[in-house]
Amino acid sequence: MSSGRKSWTGAVRDRAVAVLPPEKLLPDSQPAYMSSWIYVFGVLSLVSLVLIIGSGMILLLQGPDWWHTSSIGHFFNSIHMWSVELFFFFMVIHLWGKYWMAAWRGGRRRVWITGAVAFVVAVPCALTGYVSQQNFDSQWISTQAKDAMNAAGIGSFFNLMNFGQMYSYHVLLLPLAVVALVAAHIILVRKHGIVPPFNLSKSVAPATNGTPSNGSPVGPRATPGPAARPGPRFVPVPAQRPDPVPVPEVPAGREVPAVPEVPAGRDVPAGREVPAEPVL
Amino acid sequence: MIAAIFNLNHPAHAVHWHFFFMSVSNVVVIILLLIVFALAILAPFPGHGRPKQTQR
Repeated sequence: MSSGRKSWTGAVRDRAVAVLPPEKLLPDSQPAYMSSWIYVFGVLSLVSLVLIIGSGMILLLQGPDWWHTSSIGHFFNSIHMWSVELFFFFMVIHLWGKYWMAAWRGGRRRVWITGAVAFVVAVPCALTGYVSQQNFDSQWISTQAKDAMNAAGIGSFFNLMNFGQMYSYHVLLLPLAVVALVAAHIILVRKHGIVPPFNLSKSVAPATNGTPSNGSPVGPRATPGPAARPGPRFVPVPAQRPDPVPVPEVPAGREVPAVPEVPAGRDVPAGREVPAEPVL
Repeated sequence: MIAAIFNLNHPAHAVHWHFFFMSVSNVVVIILLLIVFALAILAPFPGHGRPKQTQR
């Protein structure tokens, strides 16, 4: 029963594949400029987030009585807390690296914005976790944070000394927001490619549209890649020089006319340039 | 119960210089961040600069 019209699922699939083809979503090679430690901290942040969610789900199943009284509970509580510490540590270095790289170049504004917003949303996610510990530390932090929220004028929207409310924020609302933002961030990175570093070498082509130095999407797309290709994982991406201006050859036996000179005292009309090359 | 690596049975230490006031633990984390950031830029990446393998 084919009516000739494509179903909405097929249209969504075609659109999704056109926007993000599988070879860009899951590339099997990376540009050569990624062979630097500074490019590692994004995925380290992601690994930390996976650890946070995994350990947090175990803590969620058992509850405060368990994580404060049993040895295994202490262990998973510590895994959860140190994963958060590492998450923020790696995320800050990732942020510094991308800031000094101007990672919003080449149409990557949404990549930058989703990353920055994910960082901002992760802060209250961690704060609500600190106030949900159910110990003296959480009591101290919640009273201090309550004063800070009141001073900022937003204390009427939530009560940091309400364990149930803070626990709901911590295990559901804010993690959902962080995971959604991180997912959007990663999909956008895959779509636009990893931002290349600035081109500091004078021996390489100057920054024009299409060169790596201006942040054009030369990431996974620029890496040719049959899956079974031997060789290094990081594929060198040659700097794309702009096409040279073709200089016409002079036919044999024909003289090159002289470059027309502008008469003394006469300006070149605006918008018109004296030709640098002989006009044939 | 295993004791903490550091003795925590005292008020937190802080770095206080004029207007600057920060706990020692936060100062240590910030210094670590700067060190790791510098290393991430300067430290050679494994395999970087290796001669390109020829296609077989």
